[in-house]
Amino acid sequence: MWQIDTTTLSGKVSMALIVLGAFVLAFGLIPVLQTLPPRGRRALIAVVTFLVGAFFAAEFFMPLTQDDKNYLTPGIQPAQNALQIIGSLALGLGTYGLVRLHLRNVVQKRGQWGYSVVLLIAFVTMATFSIWNTLAEKRILARTPLLDRGFSLLFDYTLIQLDAAMFSIIAFYIYSAAYRAFRIRSIEASILMFTAMVVMIGIVPLGAYMSEQLFGLPREVPPNAHPFSLEAILYSLRLPEIADWILKQLNAPVQRAIEFGVGIGGLAMAIRLWLSLERGIT
Amino acid sequence: MQEMRPLTVWERMLAIDRRWLYLTLFVSIIVFLLLPVRLPAVISPPVRKFYDAIERLQPGDIVMVSSNWSASTIAENQPQLEAVLRHLMRKKVRFTLMSVEAQSRDISLRLANRLAKEFGYEYGKDWVHFGFYTDLIVAIKGMTNDLPATVKQDVKGTPASQLEVLKGVKSLKDYKMVIDVTPSSTVPYWISYRPKNLIVLYCPTSVMAAEAYTFLDSGQIEGMITGAKGAQEYEQLLGIVGLGTRFINGIQFSHVLIILTILLGNLALFMQRLSREA
Amino acid sequence: MEWLQQFLPFSWDRLSVWMGVICTLAIYSILYRENPFYRFFEHLYIGLAAGYSLGPLLVDIIHKYWIDPLLHGEWPWVFVVPFGLYLYFIYSERYGWLSRIIIGILIGASAGLFFQEFASRYLPQLNSTLSKPLWLTSANPNLVISNVINNWIFIVFLLAVLTYFTFSFEHRGPVKRVATAGRWFLMIGLGAMFGNTVMARMALLIGRIYYLLSDWLGISIGGG
Repeated sequence: MWQIDTTTLSGKVSMALIVLGAFVLAFGLIPVLQTLPPRGRRALIAVVTFLVGAFFAAEFFMPLTQDDKNYLTPGIQPAQNALQIIGSLALGLGTYGLVRLHLRNVVQKRGQWGYSVVLLIAFVTMATFSIWNTLAEKRILARTPLLDRGFSLLFDYTLIQLDAAMFSIIAFYIYSAAYRAFRIRSIEASILMFTAMVVMIGIVPLGAYMSEQLFGLPREVPPNAHPFSLEAILYSLRLPEIADWILKQLNAPVQRAIEFGVGIGGLAMAIRLWLSLERGIT
Repeated sequence: MQEMRPLTVWERMLAIDRRWLYLTLFVSIIVFLLLPVRLPAVISPPVRKFYDAIERLQPGDIVMVSSNWSASTIAENQPQLEAVLRHLMRKKVRFTLMSVEAQSRDISLRLANRLAKEFGYEYGKDWVHFGFYTDLIVAIKGMTNDLPATVKQDVKGTPASQLEVLKGVKSLKDYKMVIDVTPSSTVPYWISYRPKNLIVLYCPTSVMAAEAYTFLDSGQIEGMITGAKGAQEYEQLLGIVGLGTRFINGIQFSHVLIILTILLGNLALFMQRLSREA
Repeated sequence: MEWLQQFLPFSWDRLSVWMGVICTLAIYSILYRENPFYRFFEHLYIGLAAGYSLGPLLVDIIHKYWIDPLLHGEWPWVFVVPFGLYLYFIYSERYGWLSRIIIGILIGASAGLFFQEFASRYLPQLNSTLSKPLWLTSANPNLVISNVINNWIFIVFLLAVLTYFTFSFEHRGPVKRVATAGRWFLMIGLGAMFGNTVMARMALLIGRIYYLLSDWLGISIGGG
């Protein structure tokens, strides 16, 4: 019932008609949905949101049978597949918005529309090669030297280099801010800076080198040494050990406290979203 | 008309054009990278635990590598992924790659292809790439439930049921561990939605590392390699010279530079205030 | 002369490296000042990044999860894309509300899944906190005094920061002092994050400069 034999001509035609029918149905439903009053529209969105959320919540809370599954677990597979598709359409929305904006710039000849032309040409070229490359990987289309060279030039030697360069600029701004903006004016700022400095030096090999050569601290502690022996105490004063202790014993509880706060807030927000109590969504 | 008093040295220091600062940093990094200094890494406990976890694997075990980084963090994540894949291949462990970041799909595929040739690893038999996924959470849940049905096919279009590397694998429960190489907060999803027996190892960029210590403390993550610095430690454990080792001089001396710069900026401000009060 | 021939872009490989170098230096030109060279490469970057994503999206997802099943006769999947396209009505004033149906599906899914995340992510951390031994006991002979001291420090820090983040009531008296201490402890965590952030950003720049020195200029960098 849920499968059509597409190896035959009639099967292929049936499937094509079903695809066409689905599009006709989806877009034909729009005038019908438009007749819904605003309250009806909000109710429809709220019901859809609730049902989808209820499925996943119920699947988690329902008791498991022998093989770690429950009545709803088989539904995870089709839900997974559908959400991947919807997720990709959502990601495509960003691309669509970008192209729409720059096409409008070009058509209306807005300020600096020449750069929009560059963007659109780069977009079309890269999209072509990217789709071609991915299809060639799946052996749906042929792989040619033009594809290999073109994709390599656009992806490896242009996109990757531009992406890496763009994000590496932040280092310059951090350095400039370190000189011009990072001011140690209060107790809190002093604690922050001191911790940062100890961690920055302690986690790199230079920290161990400085501890051994400048401060004369031991490189290692004998295996049978008492925890409170002089060697053990001196070893624990090395910058790498202090940095590790700060990260594990001082930083970890702080991060956990933040996690707890975020977790409780997240749970409250999740319930509000699930029940469509959040304004501006529905 | 009031005469403009000349700027003090501290005021001149504070008013320096930021482009001189940029140039200073750029030239300094070049000098640091070229320094003929070799300082051995101190292996931090999270890296040691990461290494030991992979060392405990047996030939034929299967591992999931979730590679979610793009070229924006290539300097931190590429050394990590290279070191980890080398270790897995040394241990003759099967591995499958997946990405939730579009660029990472091709970056990790090309990187793994290059390394596989070195170790004689055969695609399809020893390793595969499952491709790109938009939603990590439902992908993990799907793979925990039924991996072949979720994955469907690899990047080459081979159906999951025909992949030799997945022989005997029904779900993520058959995997020994997942290694998350990522610049974003994806590891909480692996922790939250994985099968309970699946060990999680984490390769974050340094920005994300501090937050992960709470997971290390609770045992939800077994080990962690922090950025390029962590990759240097890992390379030292493997006995190789990789990108982490090549970058470390730049990293450690740039830290000294940043600290000195912060102190200098504060000193200049302090002295300027003093001289103004005087 | 031979070095110069190998350095200049007379082969495809060298041309590719030069392309990467030009891209890097073009982006870095913004550090000097705003210029058309930077703008050109900035728009080139955005166009390439947007265009590249279509390959994985269309082939790894749409083709794998929608087109392929349809080609194999699994007809119920046919409805996902047509109704999923309602998302694109977000740009329409009249039909924009239709996109919220699909957004509702995504929001409902993540909200419903959060219960599992709460149980699996946060409760084990609570368990880990509550099971930290706070005194020496014969039941745990491997425990030493330094572990106990560290556990107390952990608990004190955690409670102080949680107190700082509790905004449901006004902080007064001893609670205010604990919250102030929590703010100081928070600075330690932020300091650790800041130190790591500096390392991350510097590493990205170091990676770029390494590319310029190693791949372009051919200088061997041995490392630390």
